[in-house]
Amino acid sequence: MTAFIQLLTAFLGSLGFALLFNVRGTRLLPAAFGGLLSWGVYLLAGAFLQSDPLRYLIASAAFTLYAEILARLMKTPATLFLVSAAIPLVPGGSLYRTMEYAIRGDGQAFGSSGLATLLLAVAIAAGILLTMAVLNMVSTLPRLRRQSSK
Amino acid sequence: MEKHQLPEALTNTSGYYPLETRENAEMDLALALDIGERMLRVGAEIGRVEDSLRRICTAFGAERVDVFTITSSIVVTMMSPAFGCVTQTRRVQGGVSDFYRLHLLNALSRTICAAPMTRAEIAAEIDRIDHAPVYGFAAQLGIYALISAAFSLFFGGVWQDAAAAAVIGVVLCIVQGVLRRLRTNPFLQSLLCSFAGGLLASGSVALGLALHADLIAIGNVMLLIPGIALTNAIRDLFSGDLVSGLLRFAEALMLAATVALGFVLAARLFG
Repeated sequence: MTAFIQLLTAFLGSLGFALLFNVRGTRLLPAAFGGLLSWGVYLLAGAFLQSDPLRYLIASAAFTLYAEILARLMKTPATLFLVSAAIPLVPGGSLYRTMEYAIRGDGQAFGSSGLATLLLAVAIAAGILLTMAVLNMVSTLPRLRRQSSK
Repeated sequence: MEKHQLPEALTNTSGYYPLETRENAEMDLALALDIGERMLRVGAEIGRVEDSLRRICTAFGAERVDVFTITSSIVVTMMSPAFGCVTQTRRVQGGVSDFYRLHLLNALSRTICAAPMTRAEIAAEIDRIDHAPVYGFAAQLGIYALISAAFSLFFGGVWQDAAAAAVIGVVLCIVQGVLRRLRTNPFLQSLLCSFAGGLLASGSVALGLALHADLIAIGNVMLLIPGIALTNAIRDLFSGDLVSGLLRFAEALMLAATVALGFVLAARLFG
């Protein structure tokens, strides 16, 4: 039940941010679905992984693949789908808690929470960049082959 | 050593845009920068802005194009034997993510590269993009309510918490709208919004309308906290855009601190 509520609200949260960023028309629902997908992959990865950053990495690799495919199909920048899909993973809550500890003067909690937040942000960024790099290499492969056969 | 060459896609073979005079080149570069500036403001990545400018200027007939972009500034130099060397800079300030405009600008830059357009046609198209639709104020209120309620539930709130978060989201949208109109400093804006959000969250629990002040607040926090900006900052850093990455990182941390400060101050008032 918790998982169901999380998936539903991940979808709605991503839909909300997609609307906030003026995503329109046929691109709106796929953008919102990205949020459901990324949280779904995160939950699934929990079945065989304990580490949160690793689960974030896998989830962000999955939504990047989704975003890049959709961007090519719908001829629009991938950022649109990428940002919407990242919403449920984005460490807003833990960034907030980190700063809250800082203001309350709790240095120890600030340190550990800050490190955790940074790790999550790095995991998302790495998942996005690694997937993009691999896709880039795959898409330049046919061009290289054509050049060498000339 | 192999002679340095531009990648295939970047060398101008079409000859669509003959730039025989320096005057034309200056006007064309200004148009290209109009597009680049708008892309940066509506939330394009640094790489996309630089790539688009390079392609547009190449389509305009430049033989070599050097672009340097950070979050707040663009510098472009284009070179050709026909018109020499032209450089222009743009200071880019503010901006709100608008992916509909990003989509249109991206399409425009592709069209310019694919087939010739006159300067008047390009200017008209940019003007059309400036007047593209946005969701109105009533819709914005609904969007703020939706995001707040969704994240209150997502983090484990009950429906009363979500309802309170939605109402507070609407209030925050109005407060933010007023502060933006008044051109308030962005950090003060987020401090005041989060202070108001914290007061209302604690207040609705004190009045017995909702159960968990922290789970109401988290829904509103997601609206204000620069979580996406933090992730983008780290993306920039890893892609080698160090200056932009550090700028965004510092901005995200400062905004996050003001958001937390606002909520903590409000919670203190309630004991």
